[in-house]
Amino acid sequence: MKSELIPKKTRILSNFRETSDIFTLILQISGSYMPGQFVQIGIPGIGECPISVASYSKNHLKISIREVGKVTRALGKLRKNSFVYIRGPYGRGYPLVEFQGKCLILIGAGCGVATLKSIIEYIEYHREKYKDILLFFGYRNINDIIYKKEVNKWKNTFNIKIALSKENAKTCLDWDSGHITDVIAELKLRTENTGVFICGPPKMINDTVEILKKKGFNDEQIYVSTERLMYCSIGMCCHCMIRGKFTCTDGPVFRFDEIGYYKND
Amino acid sequence: MNLVVYILKKDVMYDFLLDIKNKFETYVPIKKDITRFKILDNPKDIDFSENSYFPVKEHFFRKKEVIFQFNGSNFLPVELKSKNKIFFGLRRCDLNAIKNQDFIFMKQHNDPYYTSQRKKAVLIGYHCTKALNKYCFCESMNLTDYYDLMLFDKTNYFLVDAKTEKGENLIRKYKKYFKKSNYKISDKDTYIKTRKINKKDISKFYDHKDWDKGINLCLSCSACTEMCPTCYCHEIHDNTEINNPRNAKRIRSWSSCQLKEFTSVAENHTFRDTKEARFKHRIYHQLQYFKERNKINLCTGCGRCITGCPTKIDWVKIINEMR
Repeated sequence: MKSELIPKKTRILSNFRETSDIFTLILQISGSYMPGQFVQIGIPGIGECPISVASYSKNHLKISIREVGKVTRALGKLRKNSFVYIRGPYGRGYPLVEFQGKCLILIGAGCGVATLKSIIEYIEYHREKYKDILLFFGYRNINDIIYKKEVNKWKNTFNIKIALSKENAKTCLDWDSGHITDVIAELKLRTENTGVFICGPPKMINDTVEILKKKGFNDEQIYVSTERLMYCSIGMCCHCMIRGKFTCTDGPVFRFDEIGYYKND
Repeated sequence: MNLVVYILKKDVMYDFLLDIKNKFETYVPIKKDITRFKILDNPKDIDFSENSYFPVKEHFFRKKEVIFQFNGSNFLPVELKSKNKIFFGLRRCDLNAIKNQDFIFMKQHNDPYYTSQRKKAVLIGYHCTKALNKYCFCESMNLTDYYDLMLFDKTNYFLVDAKTEKGENLIRKYKKYFKKSNYKISDKDTYIKTRKINKKDISKFYDHKDWDKGINLCLSCSACTEMCPTCYCHEIHDNTEINNPRNAKRIRSWSSCQLKEFTSVAENHTFRDTKEARFKHRIYHQLQYFKERNKINLCTGCGRCITGCPTKIDWVKIINEMR
């Protein structure tokens, strides 16, 4: 009996704590995946959850998970060389091929930075194909910054802006204080030949898009990564439907006008 | 349709049913308090006066399905047991609902759980002679012929049309009950007048104020999705044995888009958090979203979501009155 719903046993190569509640798992896999896609990771008996990929490689897969529920807490306790059960990768990722030869603006907040890390690794791999890259990361406070090491490295190669919303200005020497949306609002951004990829909580996405529209970006340039409750991830269970579109198979990355205006669906 | 149709006399039908009962688990509509499909005991119990209150979808897309069993390190095979079943007396709307579910679980996805139940079942239809109640609206849902055998009621006898090999084989096996006929089944036999939905495309009515007429009455009880023969939304949860927590089962079960939990994620966030959005989601999924994607209507117009609704929300009427 073959079923698409049966997961594959996968070895954990390492489990690294990024912050008090976010950890990064490196999994041993073979096969390729694209930035923006996601995997269903779980432990039989506890459950499964969809997590987006945070790397770009052919022999391993990194995912960063925030401990919020039953499954994510259980995953956080796993150590090196233990096993998880994954399905995927699923979904449509960011249209990185379409945007070759153009500038990219990547905006992420909180755990959304994980998805952007995957894009950044992709760009580093194909650096000559893209022009200027602008990074905007928003966190709550210093202790919430994930990928500290990588961020320091990216500082040398990309234009990067970091904002901490719950930290006061005095402690923010290297960074801005306030929401990442405020930082973007104050900046002048070139709109032509530029794509904007956003990943973060729904409210942050809506605020950011509003600001970008005021700056002259149109819907075709803005891509957002969405999240919904998901069970099957193959377009069967219908939980992730947004106005007839499946987040799992048509998304999770949508061009903003495809779904963005539907705030209540 | 086939060139050859068969005649099955009504008194012979009872013998035929008693005969197939020995080989197949035979389900027929029986009216007690409500009409249900039950295992045949006495053929005289069969009642064609109304459609069954519940559809037969739970026989194929079961309420609870074990996807896999797990013993802590390995997956144990799940036995997909199924019996040879005959469903006798399905209406055209329900047969089309099975067609839609076949499309989802067997064509779009290769779902072994559904397939194992479905492929052993023989579907014998009973063609309505008139609209069953004032709520059904199959005329506007473009139903097609999807059955193994279909019975057309001609007062003293049935005309039987075989559509598939499964149906032909059944007739061949029990040929002593059937007589060949030269009758040609035409639109006159298949046409039933019901009420209609007067709008082909409801997409531009999403923000119409008339939806409130239904939404105000809706209790978010999910009876409509439970009774719907086509609704296929489901959720997946894990279970462990209490005295042996390493033994786990992953179970797929029905769920309903009318409930708030349908889109609730960790930290108590609900995406579709209003009754308005949930109410419209069901109707738009049935009439629009599925059609956009697969070119067929998901809804088959059986009207169960209206007859089964505790507040009798007639959403077809609401749509028809929108201007």
